[in-house]
Amino acid sequence: MMDNKTFIIAGIVVALLIGVVAVFMASGDPDGLESTALVVQGQKELTGSTPEDAEIEEDLTGKFSYSSPMPDYSLGDSLGSIGGLIAIIVGTFLAFVVVFGIAYGLKARKTSKINQ
Amino acid sequence: MHIPDAFIPIWQGSIYWIIALVFVALALRWARNEMNEEKLPLVAVLAAGIFALQSFNLPVSMGTSGHLVGGALAAILLGSPFAAVFILTLVLIVQAVLFGDGGITTLGANIINMGVIGGFVGFYTFKGLMGMTKNMPISGFLAAWLACLIPALACAGEMFLAGTFPLAEGLVAMGIYHAIIGVIEGFVTVAAIYLITTARPDLVDSKVSSPAGV
Repeated sequence: MMDNKTFIIAGIVVALLIGVVAVFMASGDPDGLESTALVVQGQKELTGSTPEDAEIEEDLTGKFSYSSPMPDYSLGDSLGSIGGLIAIIVGTFLAFVVVFGIAYGLKARKTSKINQ
Repeated sequence: MHIPDAFIPIWQGSIYWIIALVFVALALRWARNEMNEEKLPLVAVLAAGIFALQSFNLPVSMGTSGHLVGGALAAILLGSPFAAVFILTLVLIVQAVLFGDGGITTLGANIINMGVIGGFVGFYTFKGLMGMTKNMPISGFLAAWLACLIPALACAGEMFLAGTFPLAEGLVAMGIYHAIIGVIEGFVTVAAIYLITTARPDLVDSKVSSPAGV
């Protein structure tokens, strides 16, 4: 049976492989929610393909807006796939580290309570 | 199904945030009580895996793509819907803050849909079907399929309340697209449960790894 260290390494490797394949293979079509937005705005038929120039109209009055450092998992057009790879690798490690860190912290708090 | 900021007015987003925070608090309590040396690696690896899976938009025909959510997977493997809330909340925060995938004011709604609804639907569907059929692939597939479809319908409801989609059209389109995405979610979830249960049966909730299950 795999030990914890091997399991974690194997898990991260699998996650990174999925992410790397995603950068090159992911579909550029809008996702289910965006696609539905295009349908209700009359820019796309329910079962039809998405037109090249289709763009979701957004009414931003009374809405919040925020610019993320790596929008759409990319570092901009100039970096292309390399930027996409960096974004996915950073994101995958960050998701791991954040969840590991918080879960570890909560575990440690429980242990210290028992010891008191 | 990550709702961007532009799709929900701030005041409605705040209400979803408040509801979401209640579940996040319960999920933190779950993590404090349940986290141990055995679960920690699985929880963290699932977070990395779910982040990567969610970045992979698969074509689902009809000019649409979709990615997996992973709520059912996390809830089933860890034996609690709050495991899904815990992992999905943190993954969604990373996605929204760093990659603009899903909004900030809509993060509460996204946590409710994918973490809370996805986690609860996935967990209880799996539990119920496992009790009846004792068959992991069938139970896991249907649990993951519903855990993709039901949050999408909830999302369509929220879009209606926000005035972004008309109700019927939104439900039909979201339902059709995610019923297809859910089939892929079902296959991947069963495959992931099988692989992880084979590699480390001790890490996985006992309801999954019962002899009749796999």
